[in-house]
Amino acid sequence: MVSQLRIALAGNANVGKSVIFNQLTGLNQTTGNWPGKTVEKAEGTLYFKGYTIRVVDLPGTYSLSAFSIEEIVARDYIAIEKPDVVINVIDASALERNLYLTQQLLELEAPLVVSLNQVDLAAKKGLKIDAEKLSALLSVPVVPTVAVAGSGISELLSAAVSVAFDEKKVQVRGVKFGEEIERKVELVEKFVAAEIPDLAAVYPVRWVAIKLLEKDQDLTSKLSSYKHGKKVLDFAYDLAADLEKLHGEPSPIVIASERYSIASKWAKETTTVETPPKASLEHRLDAVTTHKVLGYPILAGMVISIFALIFIGGNYLSDALNYLFANLAAYVDVALSPFLPSFAVDLLNKGIVSGVVAGVTIVLPYIVPFYLILAMLEDSGYLPRAAFLMDNLMHKIGLHGKAFIPLILGYGCSVPACIGCRIMETERERFLAAFVVVLIPCAARTVVILGLVGKYVGLHAALALYAFDLILVFVLGRIAFKVLPGEPVGLIMEIPPYRKPSLKSMFVKTWARTKEFVYSAFPIIVVGSVAIETLALSGVLQHVVYAGSPLLEGWLGLRAEAGAPLIFGILRKELTLVLLSETVALDSLTAVQMIVFALVVMIYIPCLATIAACKREFGWRKALAITFIDIALAFLLGGIAFRLLQMVRL
Amino acid sequence: MEFRHRRRRKQRSFCAERPSSLAELQEGETGVVVSASGGLGLVRRLAEMGLTPGVEVKLLRKCPLRGPVEIEVRGVCLALGCGVASKVLVKPAKEEQDG
Repeated sequence: MVSQLRIALAGNANVGKSVIFNQLTGLNQTTGNWPGKTVEKAEGTLYFKGYTIRVVDLPGTYSLSAFSIEEIVARDYIAIEKPDVVINVIDASALERNLYLTQQLLELEAPLVVSLNQVDLAAKKGLKIDAEKLSALLSVPVVPTVAVAGSGISELLSAAVSVAFDEKKVQVRGVKFGEEIERKVELVEKFVAAEIPDLAAVYPVRWVAIKLLEKDQDLTSKLSSYKHGKKVLDFAYDLAADLEKLHGEPSPIVIASERYSIASKWAKETTTVETPPKASLEHRLDAVTTHKVLGYPILAGMVISIFALIFIGGNYLSDALNYLFANLAAYVDVALSPFLPSFAVDLLNKGIVSGVVAGVTIVLPYIVPFYLILAMLEDSGYLPRAAFLMDNLMHKIGLHGKAFIPLILGYGCSVPACIGCRIMETERERFLAAFVVVLIPCAARTVVILGLVGKYVGLHAALALYAFDLILVFVLGRIAFKVLPGEPVGLIMEIPPYRKPSLKSMFVKTWARTKEFVYSAFPIIVVGSVAIETLALSGVLQHVVYAGSPLLEGWLGLRAEAGAPLIFGILRKELTLVLLSETVALDSLTAVQMIVFALVVMIYIPCLATIAACKREFGWRKALAITFIDIALAFLLGGIAFRLLQMVRL
Repeated sequence: MEFRHRRRRKQRSFCAERPSSLAELQEGETGVVVSASGGLGLVRRLAEMGLTPGVEVKLLRKCPLRGPVEIEVRGVCLALGCGVASKVLVKPAKEEQDG
């Protein structure tokens, strides 16, 4: 008997796969109320009744037709890696659309368990789904679940395990189409089985037949490597042409319509409308926030108040923490001086202690509130609505509304935002989106903007920097759009219903992100602090300062000491402020110096982690192109800003 | 599917019988998809999201200045860019009842 099992979670975007994944594995896969969060498959392990179960969370797809990266990832995993069970998570409140994918999973003859999720949401819409009847129609187990509340999860797991050990699971369960399509499928099926038995050994024959009639590109190219591939292809395409003549539509559309008419029949047979939906709070909220006029001031107001809130809350926290840690260095000095030589105490104090203190007092106060608000935005379902409102404007820079989502995520951290650009459909759009996303000030840059300019110059100056950044993004995006060849793609995006964000989920998410931040940032902050202190003590720093002074003092009007922090800032952007605060007294800088410094930090070079993410998504050439454009731009604009600001001051 | 706007449809019944695009529907109006034009990639994606010939769609809202539209199809809300919406041809929904 096998005690190892592999379960894959498949389903449409935004139906709660990742929530179920987290429930099953206890991990923290990103969740939220917008389609396209999971771009790569995530894996986790759980132990259940003596079994070791590997769970794989597949990206959400509407279909398995190899059109987008997500679809290929999901389809290859199911077809080639053949997991023991596929849990198809479906949204009970949008049954018809979800069953479209279920059918394709049945076509793939995957051992299936259906998780009828969000039954609570369906009930809110006045819909009641008969799970038993659905199970009978699909001839696979159907388990009602409310993943966010954790209900139905253990039943789901039991059903999955029993399907995995069901000996009869190889039964043919392909859904029968209408007669005229069915006949053609059977013809192709027989032909494939006779001519290319090798392929039939890898994939279910019926599935191959359907895909060929749909003129699936991926399968077509695979077929060309087989001996009789061309013959089979011609045979299938002839039949597909018959279908097209009969219906006056391309064959993929004919088959998609057929699947939808089956899905629609299933949905009607299992759904009872209990109460007519009445205008709920969510509905009214939806109407106001996506209103064609009111929607925009609400969006703007929300963004401004979020930054104001983070600024006020962050300042307060920062001051409070500063007060707490004010005397720490002195204590360390007193405690250690009798035992260690003075340079070691200095190194320890100015390096490690002040590095950690600066990290805690400068970085955390702004980042934690920001993560909390971002979690709320993600969970509520506002992001896709903002994307809807911004569609028109995003078209001006050659993108569509969906790109607004990674843009907003970019205010959190450029790395996930860069990867999040995968929700864009084409390579060109992904690159264009990533190019503007890395220019968005992430939380680390927000630390510098709010912690330096906001705190010492004023909130208005900080907000002006943000506004300037948006204009810059727009202008550069427009230029890139004109320069890069290719056609823009239109917006097609699902808008999920609003959901009340759960406090628990928000805190869990904030905690996970903060933890990750602390683990990755603090070692670098401490090492960076020690390094710069060592440089200072050994006298090397003076040489660096001297070498950088023409650029920094002459062109940017900064203090030459800003050079080392800017170099170390390549590691992490907040490090620039932490290190600057260790080399010069922040309040001794002039307002112009602070603004120019923040501006340069905001634009120059995405940090190492971002460069790595860009490299992974687009390759070295494009990643380095982004990097060098940003460095050049930062110093160019910094110098111009210095001169303009000085003129204004005069 | 909802049939709430039957009255308005009747008022319009003498209007153009020729199919118009989804982008031309008014807010709250319902139509039946006839076909979608454009590249196979787009048509296919639309079909996969449920916009297949014969399905009833309701226009929920429209952004100004040729902005995107939000529609309801098969119990799901979809946002379509104006360019996309203008490629989906619809006819008035009443024909199913009367004709």
